[in-house]
Amino acid sequence: MTIDSRSAVSAGVADRGSAAFEGRAVGESWGRVAARSKVRGELQHAADEALRPCLDVVVTRSTRPHAEILGVDAARAKAVDGVVDVVTGADLHALLGDAIFTGPAFADQPCLAVGKVRYVGEPVAAVIARGRAAARAGAEEVAVDYRELDPVHDVDAAVRGAPFVHDELRPSVVFGDLAHLRGIRDTNVNYEYVLRHGDPVEPPPGSVTVSDEFWCPPTHHVPIELPFTAAWRDGDRLEILSTTQTPSYVRQSVADLLGLPLASVRVRTAPLGGSFGAKMYDRLEPLAAALAWTRRTAVRIAVSREEAFLLTTRHGAAVTGSMTADADGNIVAADADVRYDTGAYADVGPRITAKSGMVASGPYRIAQAHVRSRCVYTNKPSAGPFRGFGVPQVTWSHESLVDELARARGEDPAAFRRRNLLREGDVSVVGTPMHSADFVGCLDAVTAALDWESPLERPTGRYRRGRGVAVGIKAVLTPTISNAVLQLNQDGSATLLISTVDMGQGSDTIMAQIAAEPLCLPEGAVRVVAADTDVTPYDTITAGSRSTYHSGNAVRRAAEAMRDKLIEIAAARFGVAATDVKITGDGLVSTQTQQKASIPELLHAHFGARGTTLTTEADFRTTWQPYDKRTGRSPQVTEHWFAGAAAAQLTVDTATGRVHVEHLAIAGDVGRAINPALVEQQLTGAAIMGVGHALFDQLVFDEGQIVNGTLLDYQLPSIHDVPDRITPIVVENPHRTGPYGAKGVGETTIIPLAPAIANAVRDAIGIRFTRLPLTSERILDALAAQEEPS
Amino acid sequence: MTAALHRPRDLGAVLDLLAGTDDPMVFGGGTAVQILLKQGVLAATDLVDIAAVPGLADLVATPGGLRAGTMVTLRRMETDPLVHDRAPLLAQVYGRVANPRVRNTASVGGNIAHGDYRLDPPTALLVLDARVELSSAAGVRHVPIREFFTGFQETAVGRGELVTALDVPTQPRGGAAFSKLSSLAANDWPVASAAVLVTAADDVTREIRIGLGALAPTPVYVAVTVAATGSDDDAVDAALAAVEPLIDPLPDVRGGVGHKRRLGRVAVADAVRAAWTDTPRDIPREPREEASDDHRLPFRRLRRRR
Repeated sequence: MTIDSRSAVSAGVADRGSAAFEGRAVGESWGRVAARSKVRGELQHAADEALRPCLDVVVTRSTRPHAEILGVDAARAKAVDGVVDVVTGADLHALLGDAIFTGPAFADQPCLAVGKVRYVGEPVAAVIARGRAAARAGAEEVAVDYRELDPVHDVDAAVRGAPFVHDELRPSVVFGDLAHLRGIRDTNVNYEYVLRHGDPVEPPPGSVTVSDEFWCPPTHHVPIELPFTAAWRDGDRLEILSTTQTPSYVRQSVADLLGLPLASVRVRTAPLGGSFGAKMYDRLEPLAAALAWTRRTAVRIAVSREEAFLLTTRHGAAVTGSMTADADGNIVAADADVRYDTGAYADVGPRITAKSGMVASGPYRIAQAHVRSRCVYTNKPSAGPFRGFGVPQVTWSHESLVDELARARGEDPAAFRRRNLLREGDVSVVGTPMHSADFVGCLDAVTAALDWESPLERPTGRYRRGRGVAVGIKAVLTPTISNAVLQLNQDGSATLLISTVDMGQGSDTIMAQIAAEPLCLPEGAVRVVAADTDVTPYDTITAGSRSTYHSGNAVRRAAEAMRDKLIEIAAARFGVAATDVKITGDGLVSTQTQQKASIPELLHAHFGARGTTLTTEADFRTTWQPYDKRTGRSPQVTEHWFAGAAAAQLTVDTATGRVHVEHLAIAGDVGRAINPALVEQQLTGAAIMGVGHALFDQLVFDEGQIVNGTLLDYQLPSIHDVPDRITPIVVENPHRTGPYGAKGVGETTIIPLAPAIANAVRDAIGIRFTRLPLTSERILDALAAQEEPS
Repeated sequence: MTAALHRPRDLGAVLDLLAGTDDPMVFGGGTAVQILLKQGVLAATDLVDIAAVPGLADLVATPGGLRAGTMVTLRRMETDPLVHDRAPLLAQVYGRVANPRVRNTASVGGNIAHGDYRLDPPTALLVLDARVELSSAAGVRHVPIREFFTGFQETAVGRGELVTALDVPTQPRGGAAFSKLSSLAANDWPVASAAVLVTAADDVTREIRIGLGALAPTPVYVAVTVAATGSDDDAVDAALAAVEPLIDPLPDVRGGVGHKRRLGRVAVADAVRAAWTDTPRDIPREPREEASDDHRLPFRRLRRRR
């Protein structure tokens, strides 16, 4: 594999690489924090930490997709040597009441099944034991008596009617806009978002319409680090160490579960070994908290790789879509009916349904658009957030349709997109204007990287070559809140307190850069403290590519406040006006008198002591205007947009059905790259994950049971699946309110990836695939069908 | 359920443990056993770690070929000049197993004793007519590799027996090739593999030896003869006709029976065509001479081509 950086910003960094430190931090490719210790295996993840003695918890899992629990017999389990106790959902429900039903959108998921199980693998009883082996042995001995109920596995069958996964809907009290759903019965559809833009009209003469049915299967995140939670009672407080992207959410959720004040719940994280959305909201924490609190003990839940597959998945999604272009090649209408399979529990599915539904017709100027997006219960493991937050599934539809529309008109797919893409200031079909979202720039960058205009060498034998392109749009989660506390230490180092969780995306590196910039601090001077709700302030979540913009803005504000404080102190010392004091890499300097003081000198003199700290804090909040219930539109539905594009050149082996990606170009408009190297790594990492989704990555179910839920069978891209050449391109159109113009980047290139590959396969062999992934079996079956005389 | 771990220091002690414990399992490189242990599906009462037994990791030349002790790693088979010299096809195939981390740990004996129908090395061992040495407290016996794989995940290894070595004859003159196809991720288990050796049957006929992996419940061997004057298409047609009745795939997430059969035909056709094309017009009939060390090609030059 060659990583072939084309970014202007990167070239600039390389040029500046040897220059002396000039007090600049933003735009520099500072080394990734903890990279060395990660490579050496020295970094301490949550499960590596030395804790007080904990009892191990292993759960007994349901073997039925849908059943009433008639009884749980724990006698044999309790007899296992080392087993301390066995706890059921009924036990916890008796102690905690309906508070044991938790979830970010719907309060529908119990940490142990109460009365009913709704998927194969659902926790039914928790075995608490001295040592994991004993807990595991005990969990195998718990006997559960079931009365089977009819299950529903297929999302469209679930939309049509019975059987129902839940008797009635239980929206969380947190969200006012879901209140009208409370108590609704006899449905598996827990949420519906509708977008209506423009009035439907007859297509004008000369129009072309394409339509199809699309399917993206559920997938799993497979972070290297397995989920882990430990919880213990410390007097009247509960302490939790957990692998979570959402420590602030977990604190609130656990406080609600146990009826505790927020100050009595401490949630701590360690650096995550990857997550991609797998470690968010309520995972292992409610069970660990309930057991530790009610049993007055310390517990630890360390799940196996096989169990991790059951904790959360990416939503499978069906899309029925159509698109119409008029005689001039302008897209005049788009229609999408989206069904997200959220599994047995809603998790954040309703939010995904709305946020992804609003972009289901793509980043195009379209006169008339209609979207119906539904979140549907089935008897499968709960689906939740996954890099892209539901958007890759609808992009699979619109970028396949746009491609077919261009081909139906006999037009180049890139040129057709270019004509129709949204530009700066354009108002999208959802009603919100575009800013700092350069779709055309991204499209042009990736097609130029592939030399799109030059003729492609197209062999006619066994191997066929093709090129494809796709673009993607996503809205950032809005409204959200971030806070930052900055302590400048007397020696000129700084300690940054934020609840953003570094899970490999590099936030500890770039937040340090943002903090360093106004203070002219050098690389390595700012330490970011791991999230700890006793110490670090509230942050909505580390997810949805929101941290660079939101936490970044809070950090920038805190750092600028710190700079102002330093200038004030220096002005008093120098006896000049604050406006005459500048901060440089060497410290504070008076432009009037040329007096100088380094930060250590200044603070030592100011406090009269060594080791002192100067503290500032800041917050950053975004607001939105809720979308109109009837039209689904809003003039401010999101704080900003992500824009990305991907282009692929590949060959298809028509004998084996294997796709070989020769060159993959990817681009994202990140506003401004705080750290160009890390931005390119995010663009590249998301793209490689997307190659997996395009070609083989999927969870396979049989009657509700995962059949490939081990790493012997689950398919992930290895180094041999990585394209021969990858060109990541950073596009920069600064956002007017981003920190130094920056926006996030973690999801941008996974969004258009699968359709870019499929469009290239379409180009190579003339076949449109509508179902992911494009396995060799699907490709050979389609080639065989193509050869049959029709 | 926990198994007792034994670390005997000589072969006699190993064989006594295999004979004298309830349900022993040999622990060689551990790449398969570790996974089974982690998944909690290993039923063994006793694990017998043979890493400390002297002599089991010897790789030596023999008058007719080479002998690999059971604990020789796959990586050594891939890289050792002796294997490159006497059985280059074998080196090539060992180099295609899993990834370097696995190959550096997994052992040749454990690999075949695992008995999985998808393993790569048996395909080459079959065409080379290797012999498996099995030791037990009762003595030593030898089983031709072509009789070693007896059923789905079943081998000729009997109760109390340990694979102690593989004897591999020197590769006959002629062309050889290995083809391995996965249907999903590139590093996944294959859905079809074929090792092929083309050699002289007599002055006017060539023998095509074919070892198949992943295409039936066990690795499969078949040979077919083709006139030396035949084209590569003739060779492929003859080979496909020979393997057709033997391909009996197991459907799974990697593909259905029809798909695996399809890819099996491609693997065989690709390997036969490459081996046939690679075969010199006149194959020397005399036994292959052992090259002196001076004339051995550095192994890097012999590494597999993509």
